[in-house]
Amino acid sequence: MEVFGDLLFGFQTAFSLQNLMYCFIGVFLGTFVGVLPGIGALATISMLLPLTFYVPPTTALIMLAGIYYGTQYGGSTASILMNLPGTPSSAVTCLDGYPMSNNGRAGVALFVTTLASFIGGSIGIIILTLFSPALAEVALAFGPAEYFAMMLLGLVAASTLSQGSPVKGIAMVLVGLCLGMVGTDVQTGQQRYTFGIPELSDGFNLVAIAMGLFGVGEVIASVNKIRDQKADQRQKITFRSMVPTKDDWSRFWWPMLRGTGVGSFFGALPGTGTTISAFMAYAVEKKISKTPERFGKGAVEGVVSPEAANNAASQTAFIPTLTLGIPGDAVMALMLGAMIIAGVQPGPRLITEHPEIFWGLVASFWIGNVLLVILNLPLIGMWVKLLQIPYRFLFPSILMFIAIGVFSVNNNTFDIFMVLIFGVFGYFLMLLRFEPAPLLLGYILGPLMEEHLRRAMLLSRGDATVFVTRPISAAFIFVTTALLLWAIYAAIKGKINPKIDD
Amino acid sequence: MIAVGLWFMNHAMESYSIGTLRRMGPGFFPAVLGGLIAVFGVLIALPAFFREGDPLGFEGRPFLMVCLSIGVFAFVLERLGMVPAIFALVFCAAFAKPGANLIENLALSVFLAISAVAVFIWGLGIPIQAFRWNI
Repeated sequence: MEVFGDLLFGFQTAFSLQNLMYCFIGVFLGTFVGVLPGIGALATISMLLPLTFYVPPTTALIMLAGIYYGTQYGGSTASILMNLPGTPSSAVTCLDGYPMSNNGRAGVALFVTTLASFIGGSIGIIILTLFSPALAEVALAFGPAEYFAMMLLGLVAASTLSQGSPVKGIAMVLVGLCLGMVGTDVQTGQQRYTFGIPELSDGFNLVAIAMGLFGVGEVIASVNKIRDQKADQRQKITFRSMVPTKDDWSRFWWPMLRGTGVGSFFGALPGTGTTISAFMAYAVEKKISKTPERFGKGAVEGVVSPEAANNAASQTAFIPTLTLGIPGDAVMALMLGAMIIAGVQPGPRLITEHPEIFWGLVASFWIGNVLLVILNLPLIGMWVKLLQIPYRFLFPSILMFIAIGVFSVNNNTFDIFMVLIFGVFGYFLMLLRFEPAPLLLGYILGPLMEEHLRRAMLLSRGDATVFVTRPISAAFIFVTTALLLWAIYAAIKGKINPKIDD
Repeated sequence: MIAVGLWFMNHAMESYSIGTLRRMGPGFFPAVLGGLIAVFGVLIALPAFFREGDPLGFEGRPFLMVCLSIGVFAFVLERLGMVPAIFALVFCAAFAKPGANLIENLALSVFLAISAVAVFIWGLGIPIQAFRWNI
């Protein structure tokens, strides 16, 4: 089997001392920020984005990816012990995880979520390994028209399916696209929107945008919101308390597999990330359960299925990112940004041209998942202690890492002021309930979209029907239109009866 | 939704679109974008006028102090180096939350300064000076 040879090669890459170390740092930090409410994967990855300049691209991506799936593990800990989701995707875990903890079964809850996370993640990796090379091969046949249509679909899907109003989501994507226009035009060399500021001729700094929107904005919003909590100290989490009963096991396997299925599917779609997967998985379990009244009172199924789902989704989300160069959500957009910074062109050629990145990353997922099980079960006590770090110590530290991080990109204080501006912007967006995530997607895909649009127009000699006459592109356009119509329909329905919000 | 805030948003979007249309030459793409943004601005603002507005929930103190702390960091960094800049940042940021404690923040600054020097200067070799004198 060719796949095994490639995977073996990947493990050789991933097992180098440096990569192992960064993988460990990634999953460690991921669990850390996953456990802590008020700071998520997005903010952390944007804070560590500058590192990409100092280590090889494979190593940097291994670490950033580790943060992403590490938060999925850590998030459930805070949900179960404190009824406080550490990450949005583990919000569902609170519903049944915290009641389990109140029933004195916190240990069991932690054990089954970690096991479900591990198995869900592993199946996600297997799917990623098997499907990505095939998908990349198909994508090699894509021309500029297909790319443009596909990116359009990705952006529309991400903005309409994410949380919040779809109209606002699309508006944010558009603003992001405009921000992406700033700088030197690739084809004519013309300066656009730089207003004579030389620092802007390369465009806005991705690191500054990401840190401002997700880092500074979040900090301002949560300084007064997050109260210092005392973790539940009533029960000691011992190994013995983690052993599930026979009844728990019988309620474990099927929900876990169903959750994995739901998660793998939604993770691979553009625009639907880990949060939606977890909610869907919970809904599915509740619907098919013979005893739906047990949900919300500590049902094992209710924690197993969403946790398996969000971990599977966090692995399959890499499929479109690595094979097509289309990010499914904002975290994936940052990963793409990191590749571009490192000079690696994302797209279907990534697997053949940079096998060490693709297979090294896949292999590091296995290593990372094993490390996470070790980090989360025997060391659970450490994370519980960490939950007690007061936020008043945390937020100046976050601000410092943001400021130094962004400075280190260009050794330029101009970028620190850019962070400040984007932070203010991000805070106001948050106040007005606009999602900043689609903006980032638009910013990263904007220049690529423009390039493909122009190239498609050049090849077709200005004939715009090329998008609907080529079958693959037509299919993408069709789905995009359908999504838009659905968004409009939902918006109108919401206006007539504003009480049906969700 | 916040009617007043959205109106400002919409206004900003519309004035931005005028800016894009001027550059028709190399920028067909931005012009289309600008137009679309204006349309969506209207789409968002119109329903907002007919709805009950929520209070904005703007928090002045954290907003001001967090911004100030970053600004001060950039300013001090260029003139005195990284370590004093960290102290300045921590102390400004501390005032974002009421009830700041001098000794606690001093300890935090020292801790952060040491770890920043270790990670960024020794660990990653970023060309940044811990102390300098350049006023």
